Formats: sequence, C-alpha cells, structure tokens
Amino acid sequence: MPMVTLRYKDLEKLIGTDKNTIIDKVPMIGADVERIDVDHADVEFFPDRPDLFSIEGVARAMRGFLEIETGLPRYDVKSSKVSITIDKSIRPIRPHLACAVVRDLQLDTNSIEPLMSLQEHLHWGIGRDRKKVSIGIHDLSKIKSPFLYKAADPDIEFVPLDFDYPLSMRKILEIHPKGFKFAHILDGMKRYPLIVDAADNVLSFPPIINSALTMVTDTTRDLFIEVTGTDASVAIALNIVVTALAERSGKVESVKIFSDGGVRKTPNLSPTIRSLQVKDVNSLLGLDLNAEEIARNLRKMRFGATIHEEGVDVEVPAYRADILHACDLIEDVAIGYGYDRFKPEFPEIATIGKTHCIEDKFELLRDVMIGLGFSEVMTFTLTNEKVHFDDMRRPRSNVTRVKHPISIDQTIVRSSILPSLMEILSLNKHHGLPQKIFEVGEVLLNGKNAQRLACISMHSTANFAEIKSIAESVLRELGTEFTIEKADDTAFLEGRRARILVYGSNIGVFGEIHPDVILNFGLDQPVVAFELDIS
Amino acid sequence: MARINQNDLTADEKRILLALTKVESTSPEKLASLAEINVETAMRSAFLLEQKGLSKITEKTTETYSLTPEGILYAESGLPEQRIIEFMGSKETCLSDLKEVFSDQEAKIALGWLRKKGWASIEKRKDEVVITPLSITRDPQKEVLNLLHMKNTDLKRFDPEVIKALLNRNLIVATEKSDRVISLTDEGRRLAARGIEIIEEITQLTPDLIRSGKWKEKHLREYDVNAPVLEVFGAKKHPYRRLLDQMRKIFLEMGFEEIRGDIVQTSFWNFDALFQPQDHPAREMQDTFYLDSIGDIPMELAQKVKAMHERGGDIGSTGWGGKWNLELARTEVLRTHTTAITIKHLADNPNPPVKAFCIGRAYRRETIDSTHLPEFTQLEGVVMDEAVSFKNLLGCLAEFYKRMGFEKLRFRPGYFPYTEPSVEPEVYVEGLGWMELGGAGIFRHEVTAPLGIRHPVLAWGLGVGRLAMLHLGLKDLRDLYRPDMDWLWRCPICQW
Repeated sequence: MPMVTLRYKDLEKLIGTDKNTIIDKVPMIGADVERIDVDHADVEFFPDRPDLFSIEGVARAMRGFLEIETGLPRYDVKSSKVSITIDKSIRPIRPHLACAVVRDLQLDTNSIEPLMSLQEHLHWGIGRDRKKVSIGIHDLSKIKSPFLYKAADPDIEFVPLDFDYPLSMRKILEIHPKGFKFAHILDGMKRYPLIVDAADNVLSFPPIINSALTMVTDTTRDLFIEVTGTDASVAIALNIVVTALAERSGKVESVKIFSDGGVRKTPNLSPTIRSLQVKDVNSLLGLDLNAEEIARNLRKMRFGATIHEEGVDVEVPAYRADILHACDLIEDVAIGYGYDRFKPEFPEIATIGKTHCIEDKFELLRDVMIGLGFSEVMTFTLTNEKVHFDDMRRPRSNVTRVKHPISIDQTIVRSSILPSLMEILSLNKHHGLPQKIFEVGEVLLNGKNAQRLACISMHSTANFAEIKSIAESVLRELGTEFTIEKADDTAFLEGRRARILVYGSNIGVFGEIHPDVILNFGLDQPVVAFELDIS
Repeated sequence: MARINQNDLTADEKRILLALTKVESTSPEKLASLAEINVETAMRSAFLLEQKGLSKITEKTTETYSLTPEGILYAESGLPEQRIIEFMGSKETCLSDLKEVFSDQEAKIALGWLRKKGWASIEKRKDEVVITPLSITRDPQKEVLNLLHMKNTDLKRFDPEVIKALLNRNLIVATEKSDRVISLTDEGRRLAARGIEIIEEITQLTPDLIRSGKWKEKHLREYDVNAPVLEVFGAKKHPYRRLLDQMRKIFLEMGFEEIRGDIVQTSFWNFDALFQPQDHPAREMQDTFYLDSIGDIPMELAQKVKAMHERGGDIGSTGWGGKWNLELARTEVLRTHTTAITIKHLADNPNPPVKAFCIGRAYRRETIDSTHLPEFTQLEGVVMDEAVSFKNLLGCLAEFYKRMGFEKLRFRPGYFPYTEPSVEPEVYVEGLGWMELGGAGIFRHEVTAPLGIRHPVLAWGLGVGRLAMLHLGLKDLRDLYRPDMDWLWRCPICQW
C-alpha cells in the first residue's frame, strides 16, 4: 500500500491544526500509521483512495473530517491557449490522453519530492505500474504549444531524464533504468508513443520516460501535465494531480485536445451527482440518521450534499476514484459518523450450528491416532518433486504444479502426506526416540482435493508388525471390511509393505520405509509408516 | 539434622551401613561384595546414607603407570646402559668402539645413565672418550619396567624418584584414575552400634503378593515423593489445532454451519465473483499461484458477472469498465482466500438466513520469512439475512473476539475490494498495544446481485497464524508447520 510521508510543518500549515490532533484522528478515515518520527509520520493509505496518496490530498480530507472546512472543494479551471492533438497513429497503442496546465507554483525541493512520490503512487494505484496510466509532468516554459501525441519510429532520438546525451527510444528501452524496467509494456509494438512540441522537441516517451528538456526544478513556475493510458482512468489520475497542486495554490488551466476532428477540454473538475436514500443508508449501517445528519457526515468527507425529500443529492468530487455505487457513499457516511460511535449488536438470527462431515471424520481420526500414541503435526502442502517423489523413491505422478513457483522448494502441491512427515522427522533427528507423528489433511491429485490420514513411527525396533497393528486398529475404528495384500509402493521395502483394499479398491499403504528413503531424509533409524485415503 | 532412626533406612541402606562397620573405608566394588548386593544399588544406597549424614563418599585420585613402546622394548631387551656395560665386561672401552656396535643414540643415552647410576667412570683422554666399568648395582628402574611389563602395577615400594626418572625418560606414562572411597561417619558408626535389623522389603507389588495376601506381612518400600522420575509426554493435538478447534467451537455455538471447499479454484470464484477487476494487482502472477489448467464456470452466472464488471449491471454501479475476459476467469489458481468458498456457498444458498464459516488453507505467492508464508490458515464467517446491517457485523466481531478472550476491541475503516463498508477490527493485547487481527465488511452489491442474493452479507476473515504466534509465543510462523518435537511434547494444552 502507498506510504505517504506527512511532514508535520507542512501538514499543520495545510490543515490548520496541531499535528497530534491530526495523527490521532487520521486512522479513523482509513489509514495505518506506520511510523511516527520527530518531524514527520509515515502513513499508509488504502489503494481505493488514490486521492489520499499526497499530503495535499490528506490535508483536504482531514480538514473535512475535523470539520475545519467541509463540503465539496471547488477548483477554478480557466482555459489556457495550450493544445495538443492525438494523432491517428497512436490510437491502436495507447489512445487515452488527458492534460492540464498548472501555473504560478512556488516549487522547492520540499514540494517537488512529494509531487514525484504522488506520481509514482498513482502509477501503482491507478496505472497498474504504468501499463494502464502514466503521468508526465513538464516545465511548460521549456516547450511550445501546440503539442502532438503520436506513434513514432523507435529510432527517433532525444535526451531522456537522467542522461546528458541523446538516445533512440529503442536504446532507452535497453539501457535506461526506467526503459529497462517498463519495456515490457511496449512488447510487440512497431512504433512507440511520443509527445513532441511545436518545434518537434520531445516532451516524453510515455509510459517510459520524460525528456531531460522539460525537467521540473525549483525555478519551475508553470507545469504541463499529460496523462496517457489505455482507458478512461487517465482523467481521474489527472484530476488527482491537479487538485493536489491546486491545494498548493496552483492555478489550474484546461488544455484543448484535438482528435478525430473533434475537440474537448481537460481537466474536467466538475463533480458527478449521485442520489442517496435515507432508508438505504440506515438499513445498511443499522443507524437511524435523518437526511440532515447524513448530509453533514458526507460534507465532512468532502462531498457536496443537498437535502431533498427522500434523501440527499451528493456531489462527488472529480478526484474520487472509488465511488462506483451508493454503498461507497454509505461507507463514507459511516466513516464521517465515526466507526467508534457504532454500538455493536449481535444479529438475533435463529440458526442451528452444523459441523461438516469431513471435519467430523478428521476429528474422530485424530482421537484414534492420539489414543495410539501419535502426536499431531500440521505441515506445509507446498513441496517439490525432489522431496516428494525422488527422495521417496516414488514415480512422479498425479502432480499439481504451480506455474510460477517462488522457489525451487515449492513447485507442487503434495499428493501424499508421508513425505511431509519424513521431513518433520528429518528436522527432529536430534530429539529422542521413539518419534511418532500423524497428520490428517488434504492432498491434491491432479488438482482435485482428497483427504488423507498418514502416520509414521521411528525407533530402533520399528517393524512391519508394529505398523500393521496400527493400520488394522485404525481400520477397525472406521468399521469397514478390508483385505490386506502385498504392495508395490517403492517408498517401502519389498517384502515388508502392504496395501489395503476396501471393496476391491486400493485405499492405503503401510510398511517399512526403504532404507534409501531413510538415508535420503538424513535419518538412520528404522521408520514404519501408514497412509490411508479417507475421502 | 534430626537424629536418624534405623526405620528411616531401606534394607539396602542398612546392608551398606553394616558392611561399612567391617572396614574403615572401601571401594564401591568391595562394599558391594561385602553387602552382597550389586554395585549400582550399593552406591545408590551409599549416596542416600551420605544425604542422611551416615556415610561419607570421597574421591581419591591415584596414578597408575604403563609402559611406552620404548619402555616395552627395554623391559624385554634391557636398558641401553645395562646392555653396554654387559658388552664391555670389565674392559676399559672407547666410545668410538662402542659406536661400532651400538647406535649413536643408544650410546649417548647409556653414557649419561652409566655415570648417574655409578656403573662406570667416563674420562676424556686426548681425542677419545674412555669408559671404565665400576661395580654394577641393583637397578630399580629395570625392576619397575619388569613389573609393569608383567602387568603388576603395585609400585609402592619404589622411591618416587625412580618413577619420576622413568617418566622423564619417556619409558612409562601415568594415567590418573579417581576412585570413590566410602566410609562411615561418626553418626553412622553410632547408629550401627545401636544395632541394625534388616527387614525384607518389597519394592514392587506382584500379582502373587496380592493374590496370596503376603504383601501384608512384607515391608513395602516407601517412595520419596520428591524423587525425580522418568519424563513422559502424552500424544496430543497440535497446539495450533487446539486454537482452530476453539474458533470452530465458537462459530458452532453461535449457530454457524461449517463449510469446506476445493483448494484449486477458477479465477472466477476466487476473484471475478468477488468483483475483483481482472487487472487488479492481486491477480497478477507475482501474488497468486496459477496452475496450467482451466476449469468450468457456470455460464449463466458468468454472463451476469461480466455485465457487472463491464457496466455495473443494473444496480446503479459504474462497474470497472473495459472488457471482461471469460478465458481469464477460467484459469485455475490455488485459492488465495477462503472467501472463494464462502461466496460459492452463498451462490448455492441464496435464500436467507445463512450463517456459515470456513477454516482452511489459503495460498499466496509470498516469499517465506518469519511472518509470511505462501500458505496459511484462514478463518472466515458470513451472515446473510434480511435486515442485517453494519452494526450487526460489528456485533458479530465483538462477540467472536470476546469469546476468543479479547476484552478490548476497536474498529477502524478498512479496505477490501469486495466489501463496502469495510472495517479492520483491532484487539488490545497487553504489552503489545492494538493489534490488527483481521478484516471484515458487507459484501458489495456488485458481488451479491449477480448471485441472486437480495440481502446484505456480513463477512469477516482472520489470518489465524498471527493469533497463534501471539498465543503460543512463537517468533517464527514456520515453527507451526515445521514443529520442533520437543516443543510439541512440552507445549501444555492449557494456553488459553
């Protein structure tokens, strides 16, 4: 989750109250305070609230929550003369674009850094790591409108940020750290996205890197912001950035975007209107609020709210990305009301508790095994072919393999419990004997669940007769008719292994573990084992 | 110390006491043979007598000697000085002549000892060293070598200087041996003097003694109730199981039905049915274990879910926009949460009321460390009924945590993609402060509407591992699944 650094000095200035009040209350709008330092706090916000990924956004929300300033924040958007054309060539690649100009900023290193971190959080939170949305912020004074957004030849060169000599776009993808990191987004494309100005100077190569020419420094006063992407969420990302800058008294101006012979202006900061019914709020929350109380809580959460007969008309700020449905507004009513003010009430619903038959069976088998002197273990189900099959001298079969394992130790889900138990013995060889353990649990056979009981006994005189007694004892408890015959499971010693048949089908195996298997697990004591299918 | 009475002694202790009166002090072996019991019993009794102040056990260290290979050689063939003097007879002999018969080294050793033992005088004449034999005296060094060679270790009659010389000549080596010596104390002697009567004792009841009633005539040995005995550990449930059982019991007591399901799920049930957008980061390869297989999904329902994702269906939601891909929904995963099970249960049981819970493994592509594992146990509960609300959700959580033994509970806003409102319950743990122990919320309409569920669904989940670490005092989550046997044996069942 995005971590936002809240510098107290800045925070107190932006909110207008002391830091203790703020830090104390900030978790109650939905945040985890990770670290409280001398001059700042690091706070994590939830991925559904990208508008809180900046200190300006947090300040805006907290002013409302603390009722210092409530209701819809309104931002003026003047028209600028800046324009940009979306060339036809870019449409199959990365067709969506939203732009804005923000003027009269007083930037310094203290405000540039949070701006960059907001940009990165948005790349993560809305942009799906720049795939869906990427944001370029430029020093407007270095470039000349009108701009052109097009698909360009990969051999076109420009000086990218962090470099002092020109590179072709192709080369940037190979050697620039950002190019290398995000090249996969452009996989298979013959032409790459490029934004140039009236003099054919490159602004940026979205979604990879900006040109060094437009780098934002502490002398930058006016910004040109372009957001490119593969869907309409470019607009919300732009809105979040420009409103955050507006909170720093930047003056937002719109940009004309020409495409397909049409023209539109961005950003659009006008709120969307939703209607909320009083009864819907109260039935979902279990409260008894009137329209006025609902409106007040919505205003605390920075919505515009107008009361009408059955409910409230809500103006949703243009920077809110998370309001899909009325329930999202109702949650905000609850947050505004205060989670700490709810009186929990257990629902009086008459139902009868019921166990699951498989769990019942597990429980009975655990009782039997404990009675027989075996201690329960609960082991990992993720394992690998070497331990599971090779070390057990078993052929690789019924494998459920994961596609992208994290490590060579966990490549498959087990199809038998015995190898897990051998591993436990192997970890405990420094402890006294006998060691007797069992597990009831799940295995996967070609992706299908099956339930198993397995037990294992290790001591200097462990033998076939011992484990046969155990196996028969368990089978007796299960009350099924069974027959025992010689088995061919190579994990066990030939002549000292048997399988269990119930109505002609094989449901289990027991015997003396093969000495090679014992050695494979770093052990040297006789081991006998038993595994039973209880599905 | 209170005065010891003979009734305080076992029969064996009495035997030892009596045996000790016959000797001043003795070794364990001799004591055992005197008392006519085995050595182990004799020593155990001697120690018990010592505890009662009746006997004294001291350690005596003695040195024993044995021949080195060189010592064996000289024992058999004579010391060099002896062989040289015998070779010379009574003649004066030059060293150069000797060196023709004896090695340089032997000659050198011999010369020194001939002079020390006074067997010869040695003079330097011109360029020659001349050896003149004197009288040969008795040689204790050789006698010691001979005795040791015959395995006779009793060297008391020899001058310690002789032994020292042989040690220096590296012909013998010393080994330290410590022996216990047992003797009576004055108190022991006094008690023995008062007379000791040995009564036959029984240490173990036998069927024969019981049947015949003879046990009544015998003296049953009393146990020292504080004496240590062999440690045994009963087989038992895994401590983690007991915690899970406790939670299971709480849910059952609250009238919930237990449900289970498959580990392998289609993305449809794991994600799509929960309104998780198809490009959501949690669905990526980095976070989820995908399999190579694809599974079947209910097509009619899939169409409704598709409409919900793309346009928000007809419930006034915006949906996620974009195109919903059926093939992506069919890819199979190891379930990343047990919510895949609860949502399927709700789809199969859309009529109220439903109260269900599920305890099961979930899988996430997390790198293993002390607090993260790629597989872990999750516990989940859902309540669906007409007119249940957020307040009731908090009520369920409060009841559950109270029954788990957490008295102080608070609620904070949370975020989960498929619930709205969402809440993070936190419990107060003495010494640790507020701990987040799970997540909860009311299923979004986008989740419930396509399944034909018309009433609110309260849902909460708990990562049980963290709670287990807290309860069991574990520092590493892996220890639950790869347990140390000694910990399993010793972990008491009364933890909570």
